[in-house]
Amino acid sequence: MAQDEDNGYVNYFEILNLDETAKPGEVRNAYRRKMKDLVHEIAQVEITEERRTHYLLEIAKLNASFYVLRDNDLRNAYWTERNRLIALEKQWSDAVAAGRTDTDQLRREFDSGVRDFLAKYLEEAMLDAGRDRDCVEASNWNAAHERHAYRILRHYRQSLYQKILERLPYYEVTLPVVDWDERRAAVAAIMATRKAG
Amino acid sequence: MAARTARAQEKKVNPDLVAKALAKSVLDGDIVNFRLLLRPFSPARVDTTERFETEKYAYLLPDPEMEGRADFQRCLDSVRRPETWAHIQRELAANRPAQLPSDLLIALGDNAVRAGKYTSAAQAYELLRIRRRMQEEYFRQAEQALDDGDVPKAVLGYRIATGLGYNYAAFPEPLPVVPEFQTRALMLHGDYPEDPAATIGMQAPDVFMRTALGYLLLDAEASARLEERPLAIRLEFLKELVRQQDPEWTAFTARYRETVALMQQFGEQMLSAGGRNGKTGTLADEIEAQRRDDPRRIPEHLLGRAIENGEWWQYLKDLAYCHPAAALFVARQAIGDLEILVPRCAADSPAARALGLVDG
Repeated sequence: MAQDEDNGYVNYFEILNLDETAKPGEVRNAYRRKMKDLVHEIAQVEITEERRTHYLLEIAKLNASFYVLRDNDLRNAYWTERNRLIALEKQWSDAVAAGRTDTDQLRREFDSGVRDFLAKYLEEAMLDAGRDRDCVEASNWNAAHERHAYRILRHYRQSLYQKILERLPYYEVTLPVVDWDERRAAVAAIMATRKAG
Repeated sequence: MAARTARAQEKKVNPDLVAKALAKSVLDGDIVNFRLLLRPFSPARVDTTERFETEKYAYLLPDPEMEGRADFQRCLDSVRRPETWAHIQRELAANRPAQLPSDLLIALGDNAVRAGKYTSAAQAYELLRIRRRMQEEYFRQAEQALDDGDVPKAVLGYRIATGLGYNYAAFPEPLPVVPEFQTRALMLHGDYPEDPAATIGMQAPDVFMRTALGYLLLDAEASARLEERPLAIRLEFLKELVRQQDPEWTAFTARYRETVALMQQFGEQMLSAGGRNGKTGTLADEIEAQRRDDPRRIPEHLLGRAIENGEWWQYLKDLAYCHPAAALFVARQAIGDLEILVPRCAADSPAARALGLVDG
């Protein structure tokens, strides 16, 4: 389940440990097995604020995986959009690396695409899945979970967006030249000055 | 539209003013002004009707005193560095949002940290995509300082590192974390403590320290970094943190102690109130007795002023705004139909002792 965030584009197949050809029945079985394990794990630990956030997110991810992948139309739309964005990211990065100056259109298209993708297939799908009868039955998701989940999912969506953004070409600022030895020295100097002050 | 174009055509922008305004924003660590100067409606652009010479933009320019300072001249030199200045001019001439010069942004972020403007620094570093690493470097050096026994430096490092935090759950876009103690204090006291022993100030030392550091550092992960340290070190850290965050803390401790005495006095008056029943006195005596018996003077004394028709939560918000740590040593208390805020901490609380709230 850990690899789904590797490139920032949530991969529901990886969350359920399935390959892209998995049939709806396999999706259902994998979801139920994973959810059962997770519910069992939750029952074994003391729930702190941090753990509640973690587990709500894990449940939401499993619910969304099942919700998106069991429906062929939704699954195809999700996978096509995901692959299109990955290709677009590469196209834009390659264009910038090649020194092309007309990359702004690509950037805009990519940026709006990635925001839409994360909003639709991550945040909205996770919330919609929480209202789905099968998901509610397997995960005991309820209105209180949903209330908490709004903030958690927004945070998760933005974290993934930042993750994608961080490996993209710079466009809001010029490419920074960061010397980390100099940065460490700057931090030390600032702390020494502030302390003296 | 034609008039606007005509006005814009007549406009001449003094490049000296542009350079000085940018240098000032870098020196001030002011990300808002820095971005404004490069935005499409900036007075630094020829194609806008905004002008530096008007009074409303005077705040963007340095005063003579600042212009004479060596650190301002250094910033001005950075702005005028040939490649940076050429980039600025190119961006100001283009009809689109400007790409910000990253060398100036790094300097701006550092100056913002120096000035304690952590949200500004966080935004600058976030744009440069070095925020997390800078945050980690401050944590690392703070922990090193703690290992070396330099608690004030460690606290400063932690405060800067947590100040550089970002809230990705903010709506509609992520925002730097802001120290909203007045809101966080309400969350600490969200549930009425049916058992007085369950209030924050009465918690066992380890539990209390976790709550206190999590609340004051605005970051549970940051406070978790300190959990492995011995209690004595954490207490020293807490004491220094409160000292750095709240220069008026000593004045508050005096009021806190007085309020504790006032509560004892109030309790005694309640006990003896039955004895007064049936006795007649002057109107002045009656009014004075009523004033003494009014429990609202407890939160008033704690805060140092009265809030008209103030509820417990209004007192808590004001108290947390003025003295963030105070929220850890108070509790909600129902008296009849009234609910007030009262001082409450364990008499043997190491934290309360270290912070001068109780004798020890």
